[in-house]
Amino acid sequence: MSPGSRGLSVLLCLLFTLTGLVLHHPAARADETPGFIQDGQLTLCTNPTLPPMTFVNGSDTTALAGMDIDLARLLAARWHATFVPDTMDFEGMFPSLAARRCGMVISGVLRQSGREKNYDAVPYADSALVVVARAGAPKLTAMTDLSGKTIATQSGTSYAARIEKENDTLRAEGRTPIIVQQYPTEDQVVQQVLIGRVNAFISQDVELYYRQKQLGGKVSIIFKPDYPDYRQFAIYIRKNAEDRVQLQRAIDDLTSGGEIAGLEKKWGVSGEHEQVFSEKNAPARFDFATFFSALTSVAFLKGAALTLTIAVLSHMMAIVISIPIAMRLNGPDSPLKFILSAYVAVFRGAPTLLQLLFIWNALPQFLPFFREHWFTPFLATWLSLSINESAYQVEINRAALRAVDPGQRLAADALGMKSAQVYRHVIFPQALRIALPPTINEFISLLKTTSLASVISLQELLAVTQIQVARTFEFTEYYSAALIYYLAMVFFFLYLQKRIERRFAWADRNKASANVA
Amino acid sequence: MSHSLLPDPASRISIRNLSKFYKDFLALDRISLDIARGEKIVVLGPSGSGKSTLIRCLNRIEPHDSGVLMIDGKIIDGKTDLTELRGTVGMVFQNYNLFPHLSAVDNCTLAPRLVRGTAREAADAAARRYLEQVGIAEQADKYPIQLSGGQQQRVAIARALCMNPEIILFDEPTAALDPEAISGIVSIMDDLAAQEITTVCVTHEMGFARRIADRIVFMDRGAILEVAPPEDFFTSPKTDRARNFLDRMIRY
Repeated sequence: MSPGSRGLSVLLCLLFTLTGLVLHHPAARADETPGFIQDGQLTLCTNPTLPPMTFVNGSDTTALAGMDIDLARLLAARWHATFVPDTMDFEGMFPSLAARRCGMVISGVLRQSGREKNYDAVPYADSALVVVARAGAPKLTAMTDLSGKTIATQSGTSYAARIEKENDTLRAEGRTPIIVQQYPTEDQVVQQVLIGRVNAFISQDVELYYRQKQLGGKVSIIFKPDYPDYRQFAIYIRKNAEDRVQLQRAIDDLTSGGEIAGLEKKWGVSGEHEQVFSEKNAPARFDFATFFSALTSVAFLKGAALTLTIAVLSHMMAIVISIPIAMRLNGPDSPLKFILSAYVAVFRGAPTLLQLLFIWNALPQFLPFFREHWFTPFLATWLSLSINESAYQVEINRAALRAVDPGQRLAADALGMKSAQVYRHVIFPQALRIALPPTINEFISLLKTTSLASVISLQELLAVTQIQVARTFEFTEYYSAALIYYLAMVFFFLYLQKRIERRFAWADRNKASANVA
Repeated sequence: MSHSLLPDPASRISIRNLSKFYKDFLALDRISLDIARGEKIVVLGPSGSGKSTLIRCLNRIEPHDSGVLMIDGKIIDGKTDLTELRGTVGMVFQNYNLFPHLSAVDNCTLAPRLVRGTAREAADAAARRYLEQVGIAEQADKYPIQLSGGQQQRVAIARALCMNPEIILFDEPTAALDPEAISGIVSIMDDLAAQEITTVCVTHEMGFARRIADRIVFMDRGAILEVAPPEDFFTSPKTDRARNFLDRMIRY
């Protein structure tokens, strides 16, 4: 933004404020509620996998902590609003902000001119970009020294785009570009360096200072490039000059009042921690105590319960939707049949993740109704997975219904049974036997697909796992605990399938005989 | 054959100028026939002659396109209560079409319970009585897959009997059975006649037809060509087509 236009916007803001002063009571100035506070609530979009800015400090996944969270609390208090955090994947935050699911994003996000094109940013803390490698790696003198090396970054962040600029330079010089791998969470980025898959990762210094407890002695900073876009953390809000001025004033007050300095000290977000970084305190290879405590933790149990609930509810809904569609698709041609075929084709064709993101982030743009509080991540997940799964289930049901001998219908008709009775007592019981194995198969697949819902902030099992890993870095232990939960659930349903199949003894001469005897 | 233009309300079944099309194909061509109470009719004719279509029109599994169908003095058309009609007119199929997921006795009780609202105990007792009548009381609790073809066809007959029908339609009931099983079905059909149940049977078995029929109806290309007692039909058929048909059937 040029100084001229900045002056203009400040002038405009002043004008607005003045208009407000004239129209309202003069005392209203300090109490004016900014647009990002809605219904007395300050809703914060944050991705709690970036300690010390925003993370989960303990096994309770709903208890957020960090400098960003404390700052949001201070801001909420300033405007007498209730603080409502909404946790989600990094990629989900800005679409959510645009969709008005939250009033602001504070999540260790850097102030960058690119983001400021679409959102207003107010910086609140200083930072620096660091390149980190395994301990013992040689220091760099320039980013271009990474030519031909592989580095990891968190997806959704702007690091990859920054590296691409370095690559342009490298290509111009005829050298090999830097290879970038992107991972959804910061802890996974660090892991890649720890296991030696990549040469280095890019992060912010503050996060690294915090990580020293887990990483001490294992990694070291090899370079600190000075990029203008990576010097400050900022709060993002939807574009609104007036809101921006109010927020800037709030941050100014908190800075001059010493509150922000206090938070920086509390969370170790200042340069003095760099020295301690070489401290040796490496975690054990596999800590059984951590594994068992994860396995028995309330957080995991809740995550697993949520995974199971959403999978069962979605599949039940999918079956309910798919049966009439399958019956109609097996019937004669009609315009409705064409529409239903299109429904099946679209929802089988589109990736499940895309459907989730679409329903959560794009739907509210068309129908503001879906922006309201009742439309929780749970409901959104239920809706998308039900629709998605119903498209697959239609095909299973269609095949199963077709496999029932048409003579069965004829015989039931000839006995005077009504159509509903024919389906309920003659066709469905036989179709069920054929549909059961592929249906259970689909269900198991769905149970695992629920993990995608973490992208729209549903705290299912894998989301819980990742939050715990981000906090502790004990990824082997937590991954193992999650694996046990998933396997236990899957085995239970396989057992259930066996039990139900016993009821189909009528289809097998030998088993039927054993049953009667 | 000469019929008055109006159907005869005194007959069990009275048909006048019944026609049926499948798109452009004329499956039944102005059929007229009267069937008396307790009569055993066998419908013969080459494949594709419209035999099965005719009997399927009688319980309106296939609705006719024109003409009049009257059962017990009541016109059967689009307004007929199908549940009631099919309670009066039962049907037995070539491939038995038993419900494979139900035991023999449950096959028999399903429709009475659902359609008539009969209590389970009463339906069960009736079903076992009919299974005994068709000679397979001891197989009552088995699933269809455990029964031989003859036994399955007996269950199918018992299933039809459980609805207390006045008419039973047989669509090639013996086509999938061995000679011993066929003779079993013959004696069951004699029993039905003794109970005043009217039967209309489509078959390709000449011996079986001769043995059970009161009258033979010979059809070809959707039309009835001859109606005669079996002795007359098999010894001196009146039409060339019937003669040719019998020649071919006896030769093979």
